[in-house]
Amino acid sequence: MTSSGARIHIDGVGKQFGALRVFENIELEIGEREIVSVVGPSGCGKTTLLRCIDGLVETTEGEIRIDGTKVVGPPRGVAVVFQHFGLFPWKTVYENVAYGLRLAKASKAQIAESVQRHIELVGLTGFEKAYPYQLSGGMQQRTGLARALATDPHVLLMDEPFAAIDAQTREILQFELLRIWESRPMSMVFVTHSIEEAVLMGDRVVVLRGRPSSIHEVIETGLPRPRTRDVFSTPRFNEVREQVWSLLMHEAEQAERELQEVR
Amino acid sequence: MSAVPQTVALPRTFALGPRAQRTLIRIATGVILLFLWEVLVRWLAPPFVARPVTIARALPHVLAGHVPLATPPFWGSVEATVIAVFEGLAIGTVAGVLVGLTMGRLRLADRLLRFYLNAFFAMPILAMVPLMTLWLGFSGSVRLAIVSLGAFLPICLNVYDGTRSLPANYVEVAQSYHARWWNVWFGIALPASLPYVLAGFRLAVGRVLVGATVAEYIVSLKGLGYLIVYDGRTFHQPVMMVAVLVLALLGVAINVAADVATRRLLPWYRRSE
Repeated sequence: MTSSGARIHIDGVGKQFGALRVFENIELEIGEREIVSVVGPSGCGKTTLLRCIDGLVETTEGEIRIDGTKVVGPPRGVAVVFQHFGLFPWKTVYENVAYGLRLAKASKAQIAESVQRHIELVGLTGFEKAYPYQLSGGMQQRTGLARALATDPHVLLMDEPFAAIDAQTREILQFELLRIWESRPMSMVFVTHSIEEAVLMGDRVVVLRGRPSSIHEVIETGLPRPRTRDVFSTPRFNEVREQVWSLLMHEAEQAERELQEVR
Repeated sequence: MSAVPQTVALPRTFALGPRAQRTLIRIATGVILLFLWEVLVRWLAPPFVARPVTIARALPHVLAGHVPLATPPFWGSVEATVIAVFEGLAIGTVAGVLVGLTMGRLRLADRLLRFYLNAFFAMPILAMVPLMTLWLGFSGSVRLAIVSLGAFLPICLNVYDGTRSLPANYVEVAQSYHARWWNVWFGIALPASLPYVLAGFRLAVGRVLVGATVAEYIVSLKGLGYLIVYDGRTFHQPVMMVAVLVLALLGVAINVAADVATRRLLPWYRRSE
């Protein structure tokens, strides 16, 4: 629930690539200390929506405002964690984490302090001088997370951040992210194709559906924070998961049927 | 677990490590080739033709600066050629990187230039030497122009390729951290293309050495190329061969230096994937 007002306003937003309408009529507000998960079938445009929020992709309809300012390019105070990690292979962990601060022309002392603190925060102490190729996928994404957090964002956009990571590591990272968020709550949009992940992370789960897709349902998870592994065994978690699951299954079945009709 | 792994002590033989073996084979090949050269020339060729033994005999004299009468000074020639080679590589690398980056990042520059640069690259630059002597006179400028062009083209086209194959991911990340265009060009596109710069540089070394030598042949400039022509024509073949040797060593040395630099400066290269 929006505890202290909304930070991100998404107002009637749609996106069209040429003749392809990806999504339309998205209305969403995200609070200052809220995690909103976005799920939907692949190709529904959830990642594109995230890119629109960061101003990397222009919207074709409606507008997005962050702290009242219309988004036209990547706004200050917003950081993205990418599915592909997006680390620069020629930079060490330290230099990768420092990237955003260097571009923001932070002072040397500030960079040194912040980078070291965030490397510690994500548990990469001792790997400062390692190159990305020397790290596992999980450690690479820890670096990506540290890089995003080092710029001290008040909005964190997560683009299927753990999709390319093995299941066990993924779970560890999910809870670490939750722990970090508890220590410094901020607005977070968490795009994922995993229903469990969406329910685990989110205060609300936004389900996108249709072609072009639009918001089909917004579900309050109502799960207590801080969240630990115990949350998996609560009835509420299973209830929400089943609800999201049936919403998406309906869509998947329909798509399947349409395919058969075409044949 | 009933089966206990048996360790069998192998008899210690006199064996060389694989590295030593390879070195030994390399040296052996060289010795055999030199021997064949010596024998064949003694057997078949007139006495003024250079053989390993006469070259070896001439070597200390040449290195001490004692060259046959009227021959251009040896060390002066080395200096002239080496300076031209490094100047050409420096100019070609800087210009090649800048133009390659521009073509890779700006579609307009790509459309304007790529066709012509590719044509230039395919063309033997040395064919332009006579023309250049008309423009620049019989001077070192011709050699400098040839070596600079020779270095510029492969580096430029390689950097272009590297910049074109720049993963969109990197650019996206840079933009999300508010990178300006120059941050993307020099902070992302250039380092990501360094392996291509290097590949271009290796090609450039070959072209520059050929360019400098042949320009010196044609324009009669002080340098190893001219020394080779002069001593070849005046029956001082062993002296000439020393100059050839220096050119070969120069090429090898630059490539080894580039290799070492790669390992030191690009530790991530070839291991990231």
